[in-house]
Amino acid sequence: MEAIEDRGGPAQPLLAVKGLVKHFPLKGGLFGRTQAVVRAVDGLEFDVLKGETLGIVGESGCGKSTTARLLMRLMDPNAGTMIFDGEGVGENEQAGGLTLRDYRRQVQMVFQDSYASLNPRLTIEETIAFAPRIHGLSGEKAVTRARELLAAVGLAPANFALRYPHELSGGQRQRINIARALALRPKLVILDEPVSALDKSVEAQVLNLLVDLKAEFGLTYVFISHDLNVVQYISDRVLVMYLGEVVEMGPVDAIYERAGHPYTRALLDSRPSMDPAFRRTKPPLTGDPPNPVNPPSGCRFRTRCPYAEAVCAERKPLMANLGDGHIVSCHMASAGSGHSKAGRLYEVPPPRAEMVA
Amino acid sequence: MSAVLKPAMTPLVKLRDLNVTFVTRDRTVHAVNGVDLDVMPGEVLCILGESGSGKSVTLRALMKLLPKFARISGSIEVAGKDVTKMNERQLANFRGTDVAMIFQEPMTALDPVFTVGRQIAETVQRHEGASRSAANARALELLELVQIPSAKRRLDAYPHELSGGLRQRAMIAVALACRPKLLLADEPTTALDATVQIQVLLLLRELQERLDMGVIFVTHDLGVAGEIADRVAVMYAGRVVEEGPVAGLMAGPLHPYAQGLLGATVHAGMRGQRLTTIPGAPPTLDVAPTTCAFSPRCQFVRDECLERVPVLRSPEPGRQARCVLVPYGA
Ligand SMILES: Nc1ncnc2c1ncn2[C@@H]1O[C@H](COP(=O)(O)OP(=O)(O)OP(=O)(O)O)[C@@H](O)[C@H]1O
Ligand SMILES: Nc1ncnc2c1ncn2[C@@H]1O[C@H](COP(=O)(O)OP(=O)(O)O)[C@@H](O)[C@H]1O
Ligand code: SF4
Ligand code: SF4
Ligand SMILES: [Mg+2]
Ligand SMILES: [Mg+2]
Repeated sequence: MEAIEDRGGPAQPLLAVKGLVKHFPLKGGLFGRTQAVVRAVDGLEFDVLKGETLGIVGESGCGKSTTARLLMRLMDPNAGTMIFDGEGVGENEQAGGLTLRDYRRQVQMVFQDSYASLNPRLTIEETIAFAPRIHGLSGEKAVTRARELLAAVGLAPANFALRYPHELSGGQRQRINIARALALRPKLVILDEPVSALDKSVEAQVLNLLVDLKAEFGLTYVFISHDLNVVQYISDRVLVMYLGEVVEMGPVDAIYERAGHPYTRALLDSRPSMDPAFRRTKPPLTGDPPNPVNPPSGCRFRTRCPYAEAVCAERKPLMANLGDGHIVSCHMASAGSGHSKAGRLYEVPPPRAEMVA
Repeated sequence: MSAVLKPAMTPLVKLRDLNVTFVTRDRTVHAVNGVDLDVMPGEVLCILGESGSGKSVTLRALMKLLPKFARISGSIEVAGKDVTKMNERQLANFRGTDVAMIFQEPMTALDPVFTVGRQIAETVQRHEGASRSAANARALELLELVQIPSAKRRLDAYPHELSGGLRQRAMIAVALACRPKLLLADEPTTALDATVQIQVLLLLRELQERLDMGVIFVTHDLGVAGEIADRVAVMYAGRVVEEGPVAGLMAGPLHPYAQGLLGATVHAGMRGQRLTTIPGAPPTLDVAPTTCAFSPRCQFVRDECLERVPVLRSPEPGRQARCVLVPYGA
């Protein structure tokens, strides 16, 4: 059970996602009839390139975790396709497809809650050896692999192999979750808020570890976080989500230095300034994101956007290409969209938080 | 302002040698091990530290909110009153009028079965003996004060009907109902999105100035302290290891632990660099530290550090740190 060869060559995306949709029915009423749906993920389209770290950011409830679970195929999408290294995920093998079982071996996930995702009755070693054993590795080999992985995540096997999850700190448990995710030698690892529950000094340790493991095992990451600084630190490209949709995507520097979408700019400006001499005086956004049950018509951000115009309510903006793979979905980015600032995206002052000296 | 010109102010909070130990059948935790803190009226002090460093326990001690089995020693004075000597009746009055608290999870402070308006009015009636109609009017005033949109309509909302950010605001409104002199905030923005966190921080700062409240704000996030604090106290293993004005502390921390924390906090422009980490983990605190508690993780450790708990040294007025490397002031 060795690492799987790179099939389609380095230029072929590791994962290509098209038109991915997940709606959750909200049951209610007298007969438990479906009253409405939560449009958690609503037509996602993106590629994950080989060897990259793709960061996904957005406010709580915008669909990040649902996306993660869809990518893992922990649940089925309502619509959309996923192509893994050229093969359709969940499609017939004869037709060039990849069975879910084969797919799941190559894609693994690490969750935020380090405790809930570990079985309290298994030792650390058993936990890590579990999946390889299920997938046919002999008991002895599985244990050897578990111990190698423990060492790789910086936990001395002699010291930790026989402990139980409750005997570990949050940072140590997260290392176990990472080791377990690597046990099947996956190509793609989906990390959903992997450091959000950790203290800062431990967070830095785990981030360094993730960087090292990526190089050592030739991994590709999808890294989900609400911490914009962490995403900037770790990502090659960044995808910004709002109410189940992609609003902007591009190379990390383009997103952090030349953000086009008013939402991305506001998100970036909401970060603490890290300098008490220049504090924020006005929040860049007011209110919470609207409910994904009834997303606004047209551009979903229009209810909080300082540049919203009539056209923003009438039509959904097209995805405009700003070059270098930097794409943005805003009427101001498309010439001829009917917005008074169409084609002059960078001329509008960013909705920068005012600061005071 | 020089000390001579400034009218002598009495601190709003005066904590001296606070020790809190939890003794249960299975284990003992020395959660707080000699904390001294002063907070002036109208001042915002941030307590910064990692989980388990004793931030919440210190905060709860100020309101006498610790469980019965907690062993507490030291002196705790708030608004000139000795908190340790208060009986239940005095405490009930003290909580709310002198000091109020807000939390990370608003549902710990809000009652799910009463509307937001009812909860605020109830608090006002109980503490101030106001009439029902005066209390209702005050409830509306408070929801407007915390900038809840359509406040009038929201009076009739149950907590679960509000979004996370609004619920946080409602909890703040309840806490401010009786105009406390001191607001204790235990990581109130930790669970919020950055976009909502900055709104709540700005609101708290505005209210604090307008109502001239003292605030103790607990956080593990240096960036949050930078937005709201006048002074910062860094806690480690149940002690304050560094204390001083926020700008100086963020620009150049004195204590190796505070330096490590700053280095480990990911901020803009660190891409491609290896993050500085603090090796190891904090002590378990089943015994009270008798040396510098940071010594097992400190790259500068020397014999002196292991002889006793280092005393606070003050290299310049207003700043102090518990480390043998820090020079004594002139
Ligand atoms: N099983 C489910 N049934 C119904 N609604 C769901 C379910 N799972 C998620 N949702 C809803 O879908 C939306 C997106 O949820 P998701 O967990 O993907 O958000 P998120 O971006 O990960 O948020 P957070 O930052 O809080 O983790 C939310 O409105 C959520 O309440
Ligand atoms: N009610 C309690 N019973 C026993 N131990 C407690 C209790 N409350 C806190 N502790 C312990 O005291 C220490 C400090 O806790 P706390 O002040 O909550 O830390 P933090 O700095 O994260 O707020 C921790 O080791 C914690 O487990
Ligand atoms: S399309 Fe309109 S509402 Fe949406 S972000 Fe652009 S300007 Fe704002
Ligand atoms: S007292 Fe010694 S061990 Fe403690 S922080 Fe200072 S140098 Fe390090
Ligand atoms: Mg999530
Ligand atoms: Mg706490």
